[in-house]
Amino acid sequence: MIDLVDISKAYSIKGVRKTILDRLTFSFPRDKNVALLGPNGAGKSTLMRLIAGAEQPDNGRIIRHGRISWPLGFSGGFNGSMTGIENIRFVARVYGEDTEAIVDYVREFSELGKSLNLPIKTYSSGMKARLAFGMSMATKFDCYLIDEITAVGDEKFKKKSQAVFREKLPHSRIVMISHAMDQIREFCDCGLLLSPQGVWYFDQIEKLVDAYQQLMRRS
Amino acid sequence: MQAALTAQFRVIGALILRETRATFGTSQIGYLWAIITPAASTAVLVAIFSVAGRHPPFGPSLALFFALGTFTLEFFTKLGNSLMVVFEANKALLSYPPIKEPDVLFARATLIAATYALIMGIFFSCLTILDLAEPPAFPAAVMEAFAATGLLGLGYGATNAILITVFDSWRHIEKVLSRPLMFISGVFYVPSYMPPQVVAWIEWNPVLHCIEWMRSGYYSNYDSYVLHRGYLLTVAVCLIFFGLAGERLTRSRRTRS
Repeated sequence: MIDLVDISKAYSIKGVRKTILDRLTFSFPRDKNVALLGPNGAGKSTLMRLIAGAEQPDNGRIIRHGRISWPLGFSGGFNGSMTGIENIRFVARVYGEDTEAIVDYVREFSELGKSLNLPIKTYSSGMKARLAFGMSMATKFDCYLIDEITAVGDEKFKKKSQAVFREKLPHSRIVMISHAMDQIREFCDCGLLLSPQGVWYFDQIEKLVDAYQQLMRRS
Repeated sequence: MQAALTAQFRVIGALILRETRATFGTSQIGYLWAIITPAASTAVLVAIFSVAGRHPPFGPSLALFFALGTFTLEFFTKLGNSLMVVFEANKALLSYPPIKEPDVLFARATLIAATYALIMGIFFSCLTILDLAEPPAFPAAVMEAFAATGLLGLGYGATNAILITVFDSWRHIEKVLSRPLMFISGVFYVPSYMPPQVVAWIEWNPVLHCIEWMRSGYYSNYDSYVLHRGYLLTVAVCLIFFGLAGERLTRSRRTRS
């Protein structure tokens, strides 16, 4: 589904160079849901942005098959002066979806009601997150990239999101970043552990969680 | 290949609608103002010169002569300035993977070109209706001149966008460098009537050729010996090439969060 071939990524900000990924080659298993675990700053989100294509690797290639979502949980692409509906229509157009069908779905799902006709800058962060999540669920992808998404909203909304999410699982794969191990256990089959020492692949989710918890205890 | 092109046109279309909304605000009045402001500023300029009793440097109409020059120059300048900051203004959008940086560049350029086509169309129609000017003698040549100006502006704007990526102070230097354009592009005079020593210098300015091309298309007898279409197009193509190639080479530098 996604093949990473020899990719490297480093940032240098104000002369300080920080290597995030060093010549990583990895093929995401075709029919498995993959977790990305690691301490803060290990490069989980960067790897996800690379997979999405929102960022370019310094070296190497990323080969994608099928339609891959933007990193969900991200709501930075909203234009503050445009209304919720206008933002939804924009994303629907970009992905070539039927705009009105998507608007209806998001209206129903996000429960934002009349607020959808107001500019995004009037939204609370919770409202923005609901809109962002609704939008990504309305668009059909072969692979969903989820960056801590389920931390969004109140209990009721969380339940609703996870329910919608489970409906997607039979047809779509996911790549997930989360610090909640119960979520990782529920949704993922295998995963990568990212750490400053390197990247490891575990094909059993329990082994991954163990290794992650050990790593976190040590540090 | 075709699917990729369809997808790209779809993305550019979505971006144009978004830009329109973001640039001109919620109301239709917003877009109206975008058209009225440049037209009004040209009208004021013409009024001042008319009151000062100046004769048109060419043809019967002072308004027409200035309008051809100022609108062409403004179209170019607008592209140059507005495309310079297009990548930083749309940075957040790049998190949607189907949107690539050239898309936001083309979308903004298209919107500016459409706006200026409308402004010029309305302004010159009004002049004709008010009997202040004749309709263009060679409409096709006017359109070619407009397109050539658009290409030059696109190349210049894209190049500016790359230059500020690698050298942020360029945004200030560019302002200083482009200030004299108003005087060296032939807005107020006919370049062919200038002394050859002066022409030898100002003919290096590609914007001058845009205006000359525009006037040659509008007037039936504007015989410019200065106009060199090939030079203008060469500069435009080189700048576009530099801008797009530079965009690709500096993309990873800009996308870092």
